Amino acid sequence: MTTSENKFTFVKLDEKASEHIAAPKYSYWKSVFKKFFSSKVAIFLLIVLAGMVIMSLIHPLISGYSPLNAPNINNPSTWYNPPSAQLWFGTDNVGNSLFDAIWLGTRNSLMIAVVATAISTVIGVLVGMFWGYSKKMDAIMLNVYNVVANIPYLLLVIVLMYVLGRGIWQMIFSLSCTSWLSTAYFIRVQVMIIRDREYNLASECLGTPRTKVIFHNIFPYLISVIMTSLARDIPSFISYEVFLTYVGNGLSEKDASLGRMIQKYSAYMTSSPYLFWIPVAFSAIISVSIYVVGQTLADASDPRTHMV
Amino acid sequence: MKKYILSRIIKSIIALFVVLSIVIVMLFTLIPRANIFKNDTSIQRMKGDEKTSYMYSKWDELGYLDYLTFNEMCRASAEDVDACLAGDTDESAKVLKEYEDNGYTIAQFNNGSYYGYYEYSPFEILRNFYSHFIQIDHPNKVVDADNPDLERKYYIGSDENGIPAIMCSGCEYKYQVYFDGNFPFIHQNIVSLDFGTSYPTKVGIDTVKVIADGQGNAKLTEQTFPTGSVQNSPLIQHSCRYKPTSTLDRMDTTKFTDNYANCDSAYDSPSMISTSLLFGLVSLFLAYIIAIPAGIYMARKKGKLADKIGIVYINFLIAVPSLAFIFFVKQIGQSFGLPDKFPHYGFGDIRSYILPIIILALLSTSSLMMWTRRYMIDQSNADYVKFARAKGLSESEIFNRHILKNAIIPIVNQIPVSIVLTISGSVITETVFAIPGMGKMLPDSINMLNNNMVITLTFIFTGLSVFAVLVGDLLMTVIDPRIKLTEKGD
Repeated sequence: MTTSENKFTFVKLDEKASEHIAAPKYSYWKSVFKKFFSSKVAIFLLIVLAGMVIMSLIHPLISGYSPLNAPNINNPSTWYNPPSAQLWFGTDNVGNSLFDAIWLGTRNSLMIAVVATAISTVIGVLVGMFWGYSKKMDAIMLNVYNVVANIPYLLLVIVLMYVLGRGIWQMIFSLSCTSWLSTAYFIRVQVMIIRDREYNLASECLGTPRTKVIFHNIFPYLISVIMTSLARDIPSFISYEVFLTYVGNGLSEKDASLGRMIQKYSAYMTSSPYLFWIPVAFSAIISVSIYVVGQTLADASDPRTHMV
Repeated sequence: MKKYILSRIIKSIIALFVVLSIVIVMLFTLIPRANIFKNDTSIQRMKGDEKTSYMYSKWDELGYLDYLTFNEMCRASAEDVDACLAGDTDESAKVLKEYEDNGYTIAQFNNGSYYGYYEYSPFEILRNFYSHFIQIDHPNKVVDADNPDLERKYYIGSDENGIPAIMCSGCEYKYQVYFDGNFPFIHQNIVSLDFGTSYPTKVGIDTVKVIADGQGNAKLTEQTFPTGSVQNSPLIQHSCRYKPTSTLDRMDTTKFTDNYANCDSAYDSPSMISTSLLFGLVSLFLAYIIAIPAGIYMARKKGKLADKIGIVYINFLIAVPSLAFIFFVKQIGQSFGLPDKFPHYGFGDIRSYILPIIILALLSTSSLMMWTRRYMIDQSNADYVKFARAKGLSESEIFNRHILKNAIIPIVNQIPVSIVLTISGSVITETVFAIPGMGKMLPDSINMLNNNMVITLTFIFTGLSVFAVLVGDLLMTVIDPRIKLTEKGD
């Protein structure tokens, strides 16, 4: 076989191209999102979660529901209506729509968990980074940690709630009062692992201030660790809110929450089971979604998973 | 090593008392003291002066303040008591002025008589609490004006079953050290902790007794009393305390030859603390039996289907609120005919125990499985494993005899902590199933505003967990002698 020569043309020798190193383009955040969106379960749960968050933010504004109001209390025909096409989740013992109630409850439960997590994460990460880096601080903080870690957390939260009184902000304070210390300890261990790596020693030798080393060299490494702890904390705080309110040490009658609803409706567990099981299911769905989405995001934000 | 253990024990005790002090101060200062009467049924029938005097004497009893009636003030500090008691005289004005200068607030009842109260500062509250916290029994303890001939001595006697015991006359308790068939077999009444009395539930009973004594109906046993009479009686003779002569009745004198007639009764149901302990230990045993083999199996099949199912299960348990999980399992259990509340069948029926124990066990499996798997996988990359493989050992030999021995160390470290966690973790399960245990007592006593009970439970829970951490560390050095807790290694 002969090929006609006119199909080929000479290319001019490009000096620059031969110098170019063929490294793949890498953008951290692009890789994070690519990795995250490769998980179908995570995408599905993210949509569920986003839907629930948006609904719980908007719906209470429209419905105007308050657990203290019962406009239909004198109209027995509106009581205990099972779920139907008009009333998606049915009505409760005083004729209030459960659909309205559940979004307000979800909003409060979510808010408590998110704010408590935010407080304990911000304080925990800040303290933890310095704790892991400074040996002097380590000696003091370890003793403090040993005292606090010895107290059963549940006991502490219950006693604090009891002392401070019932309410959303009291609960947020009780939950985050000592939980930041365990986040800080978790971060301390991670910081200690990478503290003495060569690039940090080099930075120190070159005279980089400690604060700058901590925020520029160490903090980026911690993102996936922080994500993991976020994904664990939010569901556990939801769980604490639900439990504390259920046993009667949490929120009071005037605040709606998932725990409050589970407690209030547990009396109708056999007569109108939907009243009880819908809030239980909501608390489970929202916790699992946050946990799975958070874990997937934590995996995706770890640069070591971007290699392949 | 001894020095290290000693310093750890001292640190633990300090930690315990720091926590206890903080809780006491918070309970006494941050909760408005008028709140404690919310659940008191007897105060609801009172009004006027009767109510005021009841409230102040209750606060005095609970340690909020020092309350004195006009009579008490006169008797305590007037030079001429009769002139003081007579009412608006110079003498009484002088006494009231004296108390007012000492920090007392003087007020008047509606009927015109005076009373005074002194509110303790947080420091004084702590001092008062700790001054009677540890009670030591001694032969000069009993003060009884009606019984001047009471002997003051220790002696060796024998109890109703003829077993020797160290006994005491003049002490609060008759039996100081005695033996019986119940764990821990040797018992003492010499040192006891005083947390005050329970209020407003179980009024007047020591909080420790509420938790540690049996529940349910009195249990009668045939026993011989010191007088020689044989009766069916619920009394526990080992627990007999001194009863002032003025309160002794005929019932007492038919049984006892001396004043030690104030005895506790035996009940047919176990105490709160032993109920919680039973549930905790059985469920923990079950959790270890399930979780460790499961974790090992997951580590062996890393990345395969079994591992993935296990991870989904672990994540499910971590993410789902424990209350939702408990109700979910409970619903499944009920369809098998198991009771939804513990008191439904009570202590005597095995069906009452099945569901709570399964739930408690399942709740603690997730972290156990996760850590077992983690430690096994971490160990399986070690050099000694490669060497074992090169020697030609089978996989099961490598996993069960080499890796497991190394991976089990941190798990053993966790065992005492887990035991304590099941006791406090059962707060949730006990509340849902209405099990009369210590875990349920915590939210219950808070709902009833029973401050002394909250202090007692704080002490028990914190004390247990402080020492569990210590025991866990020591256990680790026993299992693996290479581990040194001190830097020097001595």
